[in-house]
Amino acid sequence: MARPEEATESRENAEFRRQVRAWIQANQPAHPGFKLPQTFLEVESERQFDFLREWQRKVYDAGYLGLDWPAEYGGHSDPHKRQRIVSQELNRAGAPFLVNVIGLQWAGPTILAYGSEEQKRKYLKNILSCEDVWCQGFSEPGAGSDLAGLQASATREGEGWVVTGHKVWTTLAHFAKWMILLARTDPTAHKYAGISYFLFPMDAPGVTVQPLVKMTGEGGFNQVIFDRAPMPADALLGQLGQGWQIAMTTLTFERGAAEGTGGGSATSTAESVRAVAALAKRMRRDGSPAAADPVIRDRLAQLWIEEEALRLTAQRARVAGLNMDDRPLATRLMNKLVFSELGQRLTELACEVLGPDAVLWLGDPSAPDKAEWPRAYLNSFGVTIGGGTSEVQRNIIGERVLGLPKTK
Amino acid sequence: MTLRLEVPTDFGFTEEHALLRAEARRFLAERLPIAELRRQVDAGVRLDRGLWKEIAGLGWVGLVLPERFGGAGLGWLHLGILMEEMGRRLVPGPFLGSLLAGIAIERGAGDAQRERWLPAIASGETIASLALVEPGGAFEGAAITASADPADGGFVLRGRKTHVVGGADAGIVVAAFREPSGRISLFAVDLPAPGVAIEDEVSIDPTRPTARIAFDGVRVGAGARLDGDGSRALAETLTRGSAALAAEQVGGAEAVLQLTRQYAIDRKQFDRPIGFFQAVKHPIVDMMCGIELARSLACGAAAGLDADTPAAPVHARMAKALASDVYAQAVRKGVQLHGGYGFTWDCDVHLYFRRALWSRPMLGDAIHHRKGLASALGGEA
Ligand SMILES: Cc1cc2nc3c(=O)[nH]c(=O)nc-3n(C[C@H](O)[C@H](O)[C@H](O)COP(=O)(O)OP(=O)(O)OC[C@H]3O[C@@H](n4cnc5c(N)ncnc54)[C@H](O)[C@@H]3O)c2cc1C
Repeated sequence: MARPEEATESRENAEFRRQVRAWIQANQPAHPGFKLPQTFLEVESERQFDFLREWQRKVYDAGYLGLDWPAEYGGHSDPHKRQRIVSQELNRAGAPFLVNVIGLQWAGPTILAYGSEEQKRKYLKNILSCEDVWCQGFSEPGAGSDLAGLQASATREGEGWVVTGHKVWTTLAHFAKWMILLARTDPTAHKYAGISYFLFPMDAPGVTVQPLVKMTGEGGFNQVIFDRAPMPADALLGQLGQGWQIAMTTLTFERGAAEGTGGGSATSTAESVRAVAALAKRMRRDGSPAAADPVIRDRLAQLWIEEEALRLTAQRARVAGLNMDDRPLATRLMNKLVFSELGQRLTELACEVLGPDAVLWLGDPSAPDKAEWPRAYLNSFGVTIGGGTSEVQRNIIGERVLGLPKTK
Repeated sequence: MTLRLEVPTDFGFTEEHALLRAEARRFLAERLPIAELRRQVDAGVRLDRGLWKEIAGLGWVGLVLPERFGGAGLGWLHLGILMEEMGRRLVPGPFLGSLLAGIAIERGAGDAQRERWLPAIASGETIASLALVEPGGAFEGAAITASADPADGGFVLRGRKTHVVGGADAGIVVAAFREPSGRISLFAVDLPAPGVAIEDEVSIDPTRPTARIAFDGVRVGAGARLDGDGSRALAETLTRGSAALAAEQVGGAEAVLQLTRQYAIDRKQFDRPIGFFQAVKHPIVDMMCGIELARSLACGAAAGLDADTPAAPVHARMAKALASDVYAQAVRKGVQLHGGYGFTWDCDVHLYFRRALWSRPMLGDAIHHRKGLASALGGEA
């Protein structure tokens, strides 16, 4: 199916797209025969990780990652900003996701924005090539939605720092070489002013990574405990006490409110309405194809409308004049909220379409589609909770976009 | 067959669109403050001829009609922008009727017929309307029972049509009839005509007067039948009308969002603005998200019509379906969040409530369009 981007694409870009498409077709790895994670939030085993990392390296070596990043840091300084085309084609092909999501999409762009020359040279290329995987140490047991309430501390010791504290829900920490870490450097300062932003080496002594089990029964995220873990002086990103401001930059990338991606997409499951419609044609319900049931048809149509509306909204957001209401932030800030909730309703509908077989779980030989749908439904909560919950997103939109009174 | 849902990357947006919006917004703010709209509603004004002349003078009625037939020759995105602005201000009167009739003639008629009717419609000199729906309710051609029987080289028209916008003031009505062969044809009937009885409807939306029209053995010449394929012209008119009406609905919902947002800031309870409370804040945010989504579809439909892509009818259906739902939800929350005041005649939200309820079923409601979309999605069930 042709995408809208292609309709009015320049000849150069169309040619580039064809190249990328051909390359993916020729190089996309076959399914490895073991269970793959649906998103980067649930990479569990070494072999899953190695498989995905190998794929990202291959994409990078082919020249299809970091197109928009400066060449001196391992990118391509592509004047045409064509990374988006690569991401679209990877998605379309249903290629495995690029596992270094936190590096590519959040840590990397933040380092590009705030890093010193040395830091950029040190970290960025290895993010693209997947030499170094990154994790994000923001949340703590007592500081989730209220991120600024964090307590982990970094104190000066000699030239460097030592970190003490407890991070939680840390995706990919069990494979990561580096962490973007928020720690309190001034306990006496105001809540937001005493925080600094660090690029922390995960192999430092005094770091314990403890896997947590997700509600799907699978692994993927962790607790990270720091017991006087040392880090060098150059671990500090930006200025001392500037951590909150930098963290907000990371969050705008994480929540899709800004584009800062080094490339790739976070998921490889095509959770699109079309896929659920196709499922409905295969499944039977009261002796007929589920797709013939008018209620299911109505709900599919509703979700198709919203999916298409979301896609067009992203497209419209790039046409300044069509933002129309002098609230350009709206279309950006609502993206994560709408996308994640839609994904949840879509995967839930898929489970309903499955009927009684929706109860069959991973490992059952007769589970339709290897139980990918119920698994995706459970996993969909990772997206409505992670990166700022839907409730918090609504607060942010209400306050920042609509100017409603602030919730403390 | 796979469906291609393409919209030009930039939606075909130009500075000209922004200028039109600014001009329309300024004009309507001056000409139609809510106090003036209320004055007309309270006085039971059916047609403000002064306003109609001014609107026609701005070229809005013939905005998308070709220049050679007296129109402005502008695109659907222009019209969408205009409809959104008019929806915000609840512009009263017969505009929608003339718009739809003009589209139907443009899509369904031969050049001689276009020359005959369109210039007067485009200039606003003649108010026109589209008569499609029959008692019993139907959204598309298939259910039409009104009949056109050949007689004396012309036709005899029989049947009843409802919800004809501006029908009582119309000089031309374009109506759909079934011929004995089963074929659907569109007829343009000059009014008044013997055998045509027009009666005002009492509608929930006093800003958009409508009429019932009975055709009781109305004799018309062969030239009254539009030359083109009636079913097709009707479908194309519905697609275009849906895109336009969806944009109007988005504008109305946007106005409700603004009213509700402001009230949430101004109204205090428990020593705080009520907008502080998440039970108030979050539904307003959801209202905004819905509006932005529907707006994207309306723009997508318009851009698709401008670029003449096969996606346009799909996006038009989507836009009308979502905008109908979003507007209905906006007014529902809008009334609720205004509390007791929201339940009064004084609170402006009910004016939008009425328009939302009126425009929901017209040209197909969300259920109707989702039904069509489900077929397009699956190809076959
Ligand atoms: C799959 C997954 C992966 C994650 N990966 C990472 C990671 O790699 N690194 C990292 O640092 N963090 C990560 N997180 C953490 C994530 O950012 C937090 O879970 C999230 O911000 C919510 O915080 P919490 O879990 O403490 O919930 P809480 O803040 O305790 O929230 C509990 C409930 O209260 C609601 N609530 C809280 N405050 C408000 C408010 N002000 N208004 C309205 N409702 C409110 C929430 O919406 C939620 O429903 C991940 C989370 C998940 C689920």
